[in-house]
Amino acid sequence: MKKKQRGTFNLGRLLQNNIVPIMFLGICIVCFPLSGRSPAYLLNELVTRLGRNTFLVLSLLIPVMAGMGMNFAMTLGAMAGQIGLILVADWQIWGIPGIILAMIVSIPISILLGVFCGSMLNKAKGREMITSYIIAFFMTGVYQLVVLFMMGPIIPIAHDSLKLSRGFGIRNTVSLLNMRQALDNLLAINVMGVKIPVLTFLIIGVLCLVIIWFRRTKLGQDMRAVAQDMEVARDAGINVDRTRVLAIVISTVVAGFGMIIYLQNMGNFSTYNAHSQIGMFSIAALLVGGASVEKASIGNAFLGVILFHMMFIMAPDAATTITGDSMIGEYFRTFVSYGVITVALIMYETRKRRNRSQTGYLLALAQKEEEARGK
Amino acid sequence: MKKRNFLFQGLLVLVLVAIGAVMMVIGRGHTVYFDNRSLEYNGTNYDSLYKIEVYLGGSAEGEAVARLYDQERGMATQVGQSMTLTLVITPEDGGEEADPATYTIDLPYNMDGIVINLPAYLEGLPEEAYLTEFVPLVTEEPEEEIDLGGDMGLGDF
Amino acid sequence: MGKTLENQNRLLGYVRSFGTPRLIITGFVLLLFITAPIVGVDLTMQIGNVINRFSWNAVLVLALVPMIQSGCSLNFGIPLGILAGLLGGTLSIQLGFERFGVMGCFFAAILLATPFAVLAGGGYGWLLNKIKGGEMMIATYVGLSAIAFMCMMWLLLPYTSPTMVWGLSGEGLRTTISLDGFYGEALAGFLAIPIDPENGLYFPTGSILFFALLAFGIWAFFRSKTGTAMTAAGSNPQFARASGINVDRMRLLSVIMSTWLGAVGILVYQQGFGFMQLYMAPNNMTLPTVSAILIGGAAVKKASIPNVIIGTILYQSIVTMTPTVATAIIQTDISEVIRMIVSNGMILYALTRDMKGEGSR
Repeated sequence: MKKKQRGTFNLGRLLQNNIVPIMFLGICIVCFPLSGRSPAYLLNELVTRLGRNTFLVLSLLIPVMAGMGMNFAMTLGAMAGQIGLILVADWQIWGIPGIILAMIVSIPISILLGVFCGSMLNKAKGREMITSYIIAFFMTGVYQLVVLFMMGPIIPIAHDSLKLSRGFGIRNTVSLLNMRQALDNLLAINVMGVKIPVLTFLIIGVLCLVIIWFRRTKLGQDMRAVAQDMEVARDAGINVDRTRVLAIVISTVVAGFGMIIYLQNMGNFSTYNAHSQIGMFSIAALLVGGASVEKASIGNAFLGVILFHMMFIMAPDAATTITGDSMIGEYFRTFVSYGVITVALIMYETRKRRNRSQTGYLLALAQKEEEARGK
Repeated sequence: MKKRNFLFQGLLVLVLVAIGAVMMVIGRGHTVYFDNRSLEYNGTNYDSLYKIEVYLGGSAEGEAVARLYDQERGMATQVGQSMTLTLVITPEDGGEEADPATYTIDLPYNMDGIVINLPAYLEGLPEEAYLTEFVPLVTEEPEEEIDLGGDMGLGDF
Repeated sequence: MGKTLENQNRLLGYVRSFGTPRLIITGFVLLLFITAPIVGVDLTMQIGNVINRFSWNAVLVLALVPMIQSGCSLNFGIPLGILAGLLGGTLSIQLGFERFGVMGCFFAAILLATPFAVLAGGGYGWLLNKIKGGEMMIATYVGLSAIAFMCMMWLLLPYTSPTMVWGLSGEGLRTTISLDGFYGEALAGFLAIPIDPENGLYFPTGSILFFALLAFGIWAFFRSKTGTAMTAAGSNPQFARASGINVDRMRLLSVIMSTWLGAVGILVYQQGFGFMQLYMAPNNMTLPTVSAILIGGAAVKKASIPNVIIGTILYQSIVTMTPTVATAIIQTDISEVIRMIVSNGMILYALTRDMKGEGSR
């Protein structure tokens, strides 16, 4: 019944389904000459950002697969990653070993947060997204409690360079100078002035393979079944709640790794703000790539990061050209990020409603037929 | 099935902890300072040398990390638990340069900054004589304002 | 024996309906009030501050009631109303309404905000009718998009009033605009009763009266024919439709009311606070407002005027009292973190509760 409307090729429908990427391509094409940037500069920036952000965006795919929509609480993973990095910075573990250790430290925290988030979302079936959005805020409060008040007296922090001068709590900025771009620079190659962080891309490639493999496992199949229909899945003997919690846990752990990859590229991070917008930007990027709330692929993630960041790089420059004020560009790209999410959410809800009324219509039709036959 | 899963998970945790432990050992970074200074130890005076060239690694090739004349200090960073150096020593002004000699110095785990007195080390004195911890000067600074408010998505990604 | 058991059950049932988090928050606030004098905090001053902050925020919280009642759930899109209010306020200053006195300036701001609120609310309500069941998430993002859009507008719109634009370039509105000489204290200064005049503490009679007036208006409205129809549309849409109520129209009306009240709410907030905050500031109002009404006992689908009053008092007590009391006890200001956990925890609690039979995917 679901696939009934597809089948025939329809240009209008194709356009409608890909309206967001097409719109974005339009914005990028308009912005490019206005920004006055050279293609080489753009390419260099784009490759850097592709390596930096794709892992984070990929962390959103599994919850979508499990029918839980966009995981706004991927921020939780980002927080776990940051806690790992703070500790590793304090232990003075440098370079790639530091990155690996931060990832290992983030895993138990991510799992804990993921289980909490997943069980909350199980209590709010049907409104996962707004709930995960609020969970992100709630957990930010807990994160602040831990980092601002517990680091020092309860969690030992040895270095004064990390602590506030009052003796506890972490400073506004944590420097990752000793592991800055360690991942990106190992095995990096330079192609015509464009630095390609091969190792980072390899890691992203491995994650993609894992996601593809995961879809075929028993758990992956279960998730898809849960996404289709929870009741049916439950009747088929799938532990629906557990499957959903696992989807969130996986997403949180991957997001934690993604945050560490992201921050090692940046070289330092703002302790209390770095994570707060990661979820929003990652979701916007994924949606720009043509994903929807119920369907997202690896291709969407890559295309999304490319298109979204093209806009992100060029918008301030383009706005400076037009209005003479670069702030307009910054507001513009924020507006576009939010706007994309809004449009995608509206499309998802209307489609859901349309499907529902269609199902109702078909049911009514079937019933009528039955009655007619009965006579 | 359940039991096997449990075993598998336990094993995974162990492996991760093991990797973590290895990372803690091989990833520990130190900042090492080299001193070419005279010092007194157990009543004996050890004079500084005229010039010491310090190379990282097992040979005196490439760029020297430090060229230390009398009373000077050099700096290098090292990840791991020991440091291999190659030193080229000129004992006196106008004297002959000695052949490069390679040394491996163990670095204590719990020190971030380590000061090594090269003349003392070269004399073969014990660790407590040539190695001291570098304690950075604490500068009083005003308490920074903690910025908790999110910026609602301005800035870069 | 049986009777005590019954009583106990009733008590338990009451506690359950009240909700554990609410109980904890109420207990916490009581604890604050008890410890405050012990640790040497001036209680009169604190209570005065709570009353003042209540008078700033109550109308904003009240703005959530119509939408909750009509079944549009929590209005995370309140920034839309706030932005309309900001437009009204800035226009009132730009057009020089201060020459009609503080009151004139204030009511001119409300009047000027009204068309924007009705227009924005109309569009927003139309949208919410298209996506029934997914209101909250979309409301959140409509609000955020609108804030970001207006950020551009604050820079681009041709405002010229020297008190509002950046001094150097002469264009683009400032992030914070002082309302001294415009509509600052327009209501709060009306019939103000001194509590502690040395510290500038007054009882804001005018603001409280204004809130009472609006609250009474809403209360009366929900007893009118349209009001009961709106409540019916919210509590049982199928039944309401069957009895001839145009559910979509009721929802639309409620959204417009909410948005307009939001606009008035931010103007009331500003006149008490004394400053107008533009750009990203409206975003900081959403979650506190929503959590206040929930703390007061509202649910995602049910809210009343007492919920608004109790919730705002409790929430503002936490906001004003924790910093001073916590600083007095542990010498560190932990209030921002507590506020974050309490307010978002409350929203989280409400979202993960009473979910049966609606909004299922």
